[in-house]
Amino acid sequence: MKFSRRKFGLGATAAAGALAMPHIASGANPRVVVVGGGAGGATAARYIAKDSKGGIDVILIEPTRTYYTCFFSNLYLGGLRDFASIGHTYGALASEYGVNVVHDWATDMDLSARTVRLASGNTIAYDKAVVAPGIDFKYETVPGYGVESANKMPHAWKAGSQTQLLKAQVEAMPEGGLYMMVAPPNPYRCPPGPYERISMVAHILKQKNPRAKIIIFDPKEKFSKQDLFIEGWGIHYEDMIEWLPASFVGALENIDAKTMEIRTETEIFKPDVCNVIPGQRAGRIATLAGLANDQGFCPIVPATMRSQIDENVHLVGDSTIAGDMPKSGFSANTQAKVAAMAVRASLTDSKLFPARFANTCWSLISPGNGVKVGATYEATEDKIAKVDNFISKTGESPALRKKTYEESLGWYDGITADIFG
Amino acid sequence: MAIRCRRPGVCVLVLYSFVFIAANEAAATDLPESSAIAIGGDPAYGEYLAGECMACHQTDGGGNGIPSIAGWAVEEFVDVMHEYRAKIRSNPVMQTVSTRLSDEEIVSLAAYFGTLDK
Repeated sequence: MKFSRRKFGLGATAAAGALAMPHIASGANPRVVVVGGGAGGATAARYIAKDSKGGIDVILIEPTRTYYTCFFSNLYLGGLRDFASIGHTYGALASEYGVNVVHDWATDMDLSARTVRLASGNTIAYDKAVVAPGIDFKYETVPGYGVESANKMPHAWKAGSQTQLLKAQVEAMPEGGLYMMVAPPNPYRCPPGPYERISMVAHILKQKNPRAKIIIFDPKEKFSKQDLFIEGWGIHYEDMIEWLPASFVGALENIDAKTMEIRTETEIFKPDVCNVIPGQRAGRIATLAGLANDQGFCPIVPATMRSQIDENVHLVGDSTIAGDMPKSGFSANTQAKVAAMAVRASLTDSKLFPARFANTCWSLISPGNGVKVGATYEATEDKIAKVDNFISKTGESPALRKKTYEESLGWYDGITADIFG
Repeated sequence: MAIRCRRPGVCVLVLYSFVFIAANEAAATDLPESSAIAIGGDPAYGEYLAGECMACHQTDGGGNGIPSIAGWAVEEFVDVMHEYRAKIRSNPVMQTVSTRLSDEEIVSLAAYFGTLDK
C-alpha cells in the first residue's frame, strides 16, 4: 500500500481525532491520563493500572526517562550513596502493569474538552486525569536569582544534574572556603530537606575541608526538626555551621550570581558555593490548566484528592494544598493511593473507601545518625487533618539513631518499589 | 473476649476473639486468597488498606531495616500489630499506624499479607 502525502495527512488527522475522543462514550476501557511521573504520579498510575486489572487504560506523561528522587539525594551529596542508586526508570510500569508511558511534556490542558496537549504536538483525551506536576520555583522570592543563575548557584531542589553540580562544587571548594545556603520560605517541598542537606555537606567538608564554614540564610524563624539538627550540628560539626534567620541579618535584598554576592539588609556574604532554594508553587501545568489558586497551589477535596476546580481531575503530591500534610515523597505516595481508589470508583464498579493518609520523613544528621518525624491524617470537610504524630527526641542513644537510619534505608527500597514497580 | 499474655507481666486485652479464631483457621487451611481476605471484611478493602503498609514494606521478601511482611502467619501479624497499638513495641511509626486500625482491619491486613509469597 502506498501513502501519498495527502493520504498520510488524512490518516494522521483521523488517528489524532480518535485519540482525542473520550473513551467511556465509545464503549472502550475508560482512560486515565496521569501528568507527571514522580512519587505521586507514578504511584497513581501503578495503582490504577494494578487494581483495575486491565479495566482502565492508563497513560503516564513524564518527560524524563530516568527519575532521580529528591528524597535521598542529600545522601548522594554526603557521599553515602551513588548517583545511580537514586535513579529509577519506568520500564516496570510499562511491562508489568501495562501503563502507556509517554516521555513528553504536558504543555496545556483543556478541562472542558478533557484533553492534555503535549509538546510533541499530540493531544490525548481522558475520562479522568491525575495531575502530579510537583513544584516549580517562585524566583521572585529571591531577588536577583533566576533560571539563568542555576549553574552558578544551583538550587538542586529537583534532583538530577543540579544535584551532581552542587556536589562537584562542594568538592572543589577552596580550603577554608564558605558554603552558603539560601533556604526557602514556607511552603516548600520536604521541610527538613534543607537542613539534612546542610548536615551532609558538613559531613563531606569535615573530611575534605575541615576549616570550611557553612552559613544558612533563612527567611524563616524556625524550621523542621530544629532541635534535633541544632543538637546534631553541635555534636558532629562543632563550629562549622551558622544559622542566620532574617531576624538576625535582615531580609534578603539581592543575589548576584556573577560576583557570588549575597546581600541582606545588614550583611554582605561572598560564599564560594551557594545553594539557592527559591520559594515554590505547583508545577506550571497546574497553573496553565487553571487548577491552582492565586497562591500557586491546587485546592483539593480531602476525601478523594479531586480538584476543587474540576470534577474530572485529581491532584496529588507537592502541587496540592494538602492541609496538615507536608510536601514529601511519602505524602505524595499515600495521596496517590487515595486518588487511585477514588478514580477507579468513579470509572468502574469498584468501591469508594475512606481516605487514609500518612507520612514519615527521615533525615540523616551524620552517618548512621537518623531521625524521623511523622503523622497520620484523615480527611475532614475542610482539609486533610493531623490525627496523631511523633518526632525523634534529642539525646537519643546512638543505637536508636542507627536503627532509625537503617529503617530509612528500608523505607527507600520499599517506597521506590511501590512507586515504580 | 479473651486475655492473651505475650510474656510475663505483659497482657494484651483481645477484643476480637471470634474474628481472630476464624482468621487463624483461614491460615491453617490455606484458603484461596479471596476467602482468606473476606474473613476480615471486604477483600477490596483489605487490599486498599494494604497500600498504606506498602509505602515502607516490601512484599518480595526483601527488607533491610524494615521487614518484609509477606507470608507472615495471621496470628503473628495480629499479635505484633496489637503490641504496637498497646505501645508494648516501641517504633512510633507503627504505633501511629496501628492506632488507626480497627481489630477487623488488622485481621483483614493479616489475611491479605498472609496470602502473599515470602
